[in-house]
Amino acid sequence: MLRLISTVLSRRLIAAIPTLLMLSLIVFVVLRLIPADPLAMMLPPNATPADAALLRHQLGLDKPIPSQFLIWIVNALHGNLGASISFQQPVATLIGSTLPATLELCLAALVISLIISVPGGVFAYAVTDRRGELPVSFAVVLMQSVPSFLWALLLIALLGVYLPVLPFSGRVGDGIPMPHLTGFLLIDFLVKGQFSDWLSAASHLVLPSLALAFGFAPLVIRVLRSSLLDQRNESYVGVARLRGVSESRILWRHMLKNAALPALTMIGVQFGFLFGGALLVEMIFSFPGVGNLMVQAVRNNDLVLIQGIAIVFCALMLVINAIVDTLYVIMNPRLRKTA
Amino acid sequence: MSTTPLSSKHDMKADMLRESTSVDPSPQAATPLAPVSGKSARVRRKPPVNLWLGGAIVLGVLFCAVFAPWLAPHNPLDQDLLHMLSPPAWMAGGDAAFPLGTDSLGRDVLSRLLYGSRIALTVAVIAAFGAGIVGSVLAILAGYFGGWVDRSISYLVDLWMSFPPVVLSLVLMVSLGVGIENVILSIVLVDWTRFCRVVRSEVMVVRQRDYVLAAQLLNFTHLRIMLREILPAALPLMITLFSLEMGVAITVEALLSFIGLSVPANVTAWGVMIADARVTMHESLSGLLFPVLAIVITVLGCNLLGDGLRVALDPRMRSKGE
Repeated sequence: MLRLISTVLSRRLIAAIPTLLMLSLIVFVVLRLIPADPLAMMLPPNATPADAALLRHQLGLDKPIPSQFLIWIVNALHGNLGASISFQQPVATLIGSTLPATLELCLAALVISLIISVPGGVFAYAVTDRRGELPVSFAVVLMQSVPSFLWALLLIALLGVYLPVLPFSGRVGDGIPMPHLTGFLLIDFLVKGQFSDWLSAASHLVLPSLALAFGFAPLVIRVLRSSLLDQRNESYVGVARLRGVSESRILWRHMLKNAALPALTMIGVQFGFLFGGALLVEMIFSFPGVGNLMVQAVRNNDLVLIQGIAIVFCALMLVINAIVDTLYVIMNPRLRKTA
Repeated sequence: MSTTPLSSKHDMKADMLRESTSVDPSPQAATPLAPVSGKSARVRRKPPVNLWLGGAIVLGVLFCAVFAPWLAPHNPLDQDLLHMLSPPAWMAGGDAAFPLGTDSLGRDVLSRLLYGSRIALTVAVIAAFGAGIVGSVLAILAGYFGGWVDRSISYLVDLWMSFPPVVLSLVLMVSLGVGIENVILSIVLVDWTRFCRVVRSEVMVVRQRDYVLAAQLLNFTHLRIMLREILPAALPLMITLFSLEMGVAITVEALLSFIGLSVPANVTAWGVMIADARVTMHESLSGLLFPVLAIVITVLGCNLLGDGLRVALDPRMRSKGE
């Protein structure tokens, strides 16, 4: 089994490399089409054209785009994504210090949205063709119509400002030093045994991850409901019923397992949705993650940083999809033999 | 094996949008076992609530957008510094001259909402139309010709979908620069894949139908078959997707104008209103809630309309009354 997992995973990851190269090329070219001159921000107002030419040469911006791209790729392979113009720091360092926050946020949001959407999807299926169908489906569409960044604002308004019960700025309370172990605060504080700080970090995570999860859950609910509907007429359901298995056991133990596969695929495909949501949610909650960094980079027109973050997001998407494909093979015995 | 999960994933993606259109294969589900009495037939036929409610909301917003100059009590940019952050008229301290209150610069919230609907709907309609055209043309080409055309277009779709959509929009906005036309362009460039992958799988089904084969046997040109035989069959799906895409476009525009990447400062958009109201959230929540509600209701309208259209335009679903 373990060998199967590593084979499938490595095969998927290798297959993702050309895609990542193409994506980098697209980002690179798109950002070179920019009308504004990236040099304009970096030079003092009294710079001469000679200064500009010198800087252009130092940055390699006077070379043709294909060779610029090659230089960038070779550097990127060495872990050097260039230096941010606005932060005056290496892009890789900036991303490395913010990425754990974003991953922690997205994973928390994923867990919460599964907690909401698995019972939610089963419930939405159970009321199909009954009186409850209309209000339930309306509620799901309504939830789907509120994007995460609006959930974020609504949650702040309700639980941060109107009823001030939860913090809504940053990752931890003021004055708590960052542990700098893994970057995942929930793990770090636990390892160090600082339980009050752990609570602070956890309470700061609640609102942003709820905002992301509320945006994501309706998608999962819909897919789960429709794949449960597809399972309804499968023969194994009838067989279980004839054997006298209770309806709830059929639903939770038999149908849900089979219906989980399409939902799993959807989660992989839509993970970009979580990342996209995280961008704005992090900005709104002043959460020091990659998304927040991206928004700042965009506001400062910091091309090198934008490019680096965009590529990192793409790479994450590809890795997640490779993991989902692998899980798919593990969970679906029919695919296992051919793999 | 290497292609199996990918291709199955493709179908699944299509299913996500078409989820409840799947027709039950078993006869037992398709026809009620009991003889159909008048009453049970009425019970099975659910009224298209989604369609009417969604349509009404979208038409209502359209009305506001078109007649904004006549409906709005104030100019959306007029600042009344004597009435800053005043609450809605029905609350204590409210002023009847400002039905929904004012923002931190004393601008009338209702007027700004009405004018903001113009931006939202302009972006929604044009961007959804553009994404629909680009995506559907590529989808019909891919689905009809198959082979290398299909492979290269599908590769492009897969490549595009590896971008988190918001990240791609931001990169495009940085490159294109601020402005409403660039917002539209970036939405088209990001969201054409939504149409492409769903319409493509529909076209691949339609292509196998007898009347398409008949048209091919009659030696009609490819263009004529695509336009006269395939397009009409895929059109209902495209209309449904158009409605859903309008909701997506409104969300993306609000998001971009919230960050300050969408419209110039002298234009009123819902996202700008939210960004302004966020700063003064501690003093007044109403200024934040109204634009949020405006976005949610409009997007809800588009989604309900899309859901309703999906059922209404699919003859198989109509006969089932689902």
